[in-house]
Formats: sequence, structure tokens, C-alpha cells
Amino acid sequence: MNVEFLLPEAHQNDDDDVEMPDVSDKFVTPGETISVNAQYMRSHGTFSDEKDGIIKSSLAGKVEIVNKLISVRTVHSRYNAEIGDLIVGRITEVAQKRWKVDINSRQDAVLLLSAINLPGGVMRRKTEEDELQMREYFSDGDILAAEVSGTFQDGAASIQTRNHKYGKLKNGSFVSVPPSLVQRCKTHFHVLSCGVDVVLGLNGYIWVCKHTPPLQDVDLEAIYSNENEPISDTTRESIARVCNCITSLARKFMIINDSSITLAYEASFETQNVD
Amino acid sequence: MPVLISPAEREYIINGVDHNIRADGRGRLDYRQIVIETGLIPQASGSARCRLGEGTDVLVGVNVEVGQVDMEGDDEVIRERKSKRGRVICNVECSPIASQQFAGRGAEDFNNELTQTLDRVLNGPQGGLNLEKLCIIPGAECWVVNIDALILDYAGNLLDMVFITTRAALHNTKVPKTIITKTEDGLEFDFSDDMEDAERIEGWENVPIAVTLSKIGSRHIVDATPLEELTVDARLLVAVNKNGKICGVQKGGSGSIEPSLLNEMIQTGGTIGQHVIQKLDEQLEREEKETSKKIVRNESVGKLGFFAAI
Repeated sequence: MNVEFLLPEAHQNDDDDVEMPDVSDKFVTPGETISVNAQYMRSHGTFSDEKDGIIKSSLAGKVEIVNKLISVRTVHSRYNAEIGDLIVGRITEVAQKRWKVDINSRQDAVLLLSAINLPGGVMRRKTEEDELQMREYFSDGDILAAEVSGTFQDGAASIQTRNHKYGKLKNGSFVSVPPSLVQRCKTHFHVLSCGVDVVLGLNGYIWVCKHTPPLQDVDLEAIYSNENEPISDTTRESIARVCNCITSLARKFMIINDSSITLAYEASFETQNVD
Repeated sequence: MPVLISPAEREYIINGVDHNIRADGRGRLDYRQIVIETGLIPQASGSARCRLGEGTDVLVGVNVEVGQVDMEGDDEVIRERKSKRGRVICNVECSPIASQQFAGRGAEDFNNELTQTLDRVLNGPQGGLNLEKLCIIPGAECWVVNIDALILDYAGNLLDMVFITTRAALHNTKVPKTIITKTEDGLEFDFSDDMEDAERIEGWENVPIAVTLSKIGSRHIVDATPLEELTVDARLLVAVNKNGKICGVQKGGSGSIEPSLLNEMIQTGGTIGQHVIQKLDEQLEREEKETSKKIVRNESVGKLGFFAAI
């Protein structure tokens, strides 16, 4: 039985003395002038008056300049899908020949029946029977890892799981962080030294689970199973600790990658433990 | 907030509860960290804001005003009793910014449910507050205590937090003193201008809090997270006062609870509730001491309110 009451703390402004080097690293708030120079072109997150051509920000975030194009990237925003991104999503709806997947974006992503691996060989034709069995593969609420394969006209992402790395996630728990904190890396599947696997979705959804060695011969029946493997108490504790580390990093607005998680994990042993 | 959960997650949570290691490393009967501040709304008679862990954020404002006594009712005896009492009016509202499920009309039923639960516990004889003391002129005027709770963020365990925050806000509430004078037309009253004279509502320390016990698998837990709430078979709300006396029990959820487990849950609810109240009161006292120290030293009593970092 443990309950702890605390007083709120004030914000600490320890980076007051950090200088803002130039325009491209500037942090702006809505309505703030970014540039008075007429040669720049305005892009996402900016607006300008017709008369004077001054570019102002319509969002709170960092100014990004590519050649002559000015845009503002926000710190707290929904995820913008880019082709090739690894994402973690949750099925929200099973529709005709497709699943709708929540990926923390403005719209749900679409996972086509033709974009998944089906049991019985990769090159197998999709039949009507497969359509009827869609819930056997992915059902409402299921969590999966996938790759963004493209975007539709309306901005919705199309995703695919045609690789044995992707697919249903189990044996662990789910953490959500702001998407801007997850760093784009070579790989987003990490094995931490504590025997825990982490799937860092670029959409800010993170899956922390027990380490399972990569499958040698791919058993497709097992890929779509909902059964968890037995998990030992120590692994359970490690998973919980890693999850808490990730939420703490997110709260302090620190970048999230495998090394920052490992460092946070090691540092977490120095703080007192409740039990 | 997710409204969906996968079978694998559900199983993971149920097994975790069984092994006494929950998804965030807590044991079954552990609460998340609670950050509490009182007196942050200067316009209110009393206020408190409570935040639980990374999420649930409850703001309670208590406003006392002079109103008519409640004279309704068919029964003469009840009417007679009511005419000598003050009134407590509760209102709980979920802000649509707290969670997607509260957007639009989604929160309406939920608001009613929360309001009713709070109202039932506080307005009954077990509510703690001495309502007779809130009566100014019997049969005519009394103090009306408006308790307004606003849910600003949601991460599970709402009701417990609403009750804890309400208790803290009532601790913070001061009612101006009234002076009753006899005139030819009967009784008249006036307020004492001196704020030093303002008093707490008598019986605030007996106001119960609620402990929600969630049955997951064959065991029960306190302070469920949203994902755990999706796994819950049945919930049991146990209202407890500072003496560990049970002031109310309400069952929720679609599942069932075995009689033996029910007894056990009520008992754990009682002990935990008493423990929580004790810790809460310690914290409230500490905060009050700090504030009075600052007043003595003539420093500004800066409340952080919404500028707090955690």
C-alpha cells in the first residue's frame, strides 16, 4: 500500500542563457514575424499579409528554411507520415479488404488486405475466403508494427506489413510519446541489454516487450496469434522500468532513441525504489 | 485515450496483476504520485487542484453563498429537518479537452454519473459536513455550498481523484461569520467583515473519500490506468472516512464479484482509504503551515496554479 502526496514544482528555466543563433534555429510563437525579406517563400505553418509580404508564423515551433522556403515545425503536433517510416499502430476498424489503423496522425492509416503476409506462402493469391477471415489476422484493438508505403490524395497514409519484422505485437506494453521526440534512425527495432525489445514507432507510439529471437523459419500461424509467451517477473519489471523511463524522457522533452533509453534505464537504478 | 485494447495487452495486464507487477511497475495496491495544491483560485471560497501521475487532472472550486433553505418534500418531519439545514450542491464536469471520449455529447452521461456519486456521498448523513451549522435562519436562509469539479485531463481513476480533491478544497474553504440580530420583523443577519473570523465548514475532516477497487482476473487493484480500466471485470467504489468507517459502496462494470471477494475488497478499501486520508491531511497541514509562515514573514503567497511544472 503506497500513496504519496506532493506539492507542485515551478518550472526551472536553466537554459535562459542559450543564444538563438540565426533564423533557422529560431523558436516562434503564433503571430511572430519570421522574415521581412520578400525573397522568401512561405510554406506550412506560416502566413503573410498581402500588402507588406512579411512572413509570420501561424504555429508555435521551430523555423525551418530549405533554400528559400520557410516553414514552421511544431513540437506538439500529430504525426505526418513519410514513406519508409516505421510506425506502431492500433487497428480501429475492419472494413472491406482493408483495416483502419490509428497511427496518431490526422487521419487513420489504411492497411490493405493485399499489404499483409498471409499464411500459406507469400505469393499466394488473395481469395474471397481471406476477406471473410480478416478478423483472424488483425482485429479491432490489435497493435502492429508496419511501414508507411505511401500516402493517398487526402493525406491518409497507406501502410504495409509485408516483412517478417512487421506484424502483430505482443508480450509487452504500450507507451505513447509526442512524435517529434522519436529520432529517425537506421533501425527502430532495438534489443536492450536488459532483455527487453523496444519498437520505436516514428509516430510516437512505442512498444516495449520481452525479447524474442528473430524467427528462423517463419511460422505464419504464430505471427497472427494473440497468445502471450510466459513472461518472468524480472522481465516484467524490466519492461515496466523501460516504459517508465520512456515516459520520464518524454516528460522532460528529451529525444528518444536506444541510447537515451539505455542511459535513462541505468540511471533509474540510482533513484530509490519503493519496494 | 485508447478505447480499444488488444487481446495480448489484456492478457499481459491480467497476468501482471496476478504477479503483482503492473504495467508501470506498481504493486496491486499502490497509487501513482499525487500532486496537490490548494487555494489556487482566489475568487473561490476554497479550491484545490490534484494531478495523478502523468495524467488525471482535477480542479475543484467550492463557493459558498447565501440561499433559501430547501423546504420541499411531502413528509412534515423531513421538511422540518430540511428547514434547519444548509445545502450542498455538487457538479462534476468533464472537459472535452481531457479526452476524446468526452468530446461532443459523449461526456453527458458520465458527468451525471460522477455528479450523482459525489452528491450521494456528500449529502447523506455519512457526508461528514455539519449541515445544521450551515443554517443561518431556520426556515429561511442558509449557506449553500457549491462544489464544482472540473476534469481537465484523464488518465484513469477519476472518481478517487474527484473525492480527494473535494476533501482538499473543503479543507481550504472558509465561510464568513454571520451575526444574527433580532429586529421587530424577526431575525436578520449580517456578515462579519473581518476575514480572520471566517471559519472552516464544521465537519470537513469527516468528509469521506472514495477508493475504487477494480477487479482484474481474480484479484483487485487500486488506481487503475485507462488500459487497466478497459480490462476491468467489475469495479467497486468504497467511500471511507478518516476513522476507516465505510460510508458508501457502489458497484460498477459488467462483471460479477464473489461474496467473499466483496468482503475482502470492502476491507482493503477501508484500510487504504484511511491511509490515503491520513497522508492527504498531513500534506494539507504542511501546505497550510508553509502558507501561514509566508504570511507572517510578509512574503507573497505565490500559488503555482497552472504554471506548475509537474
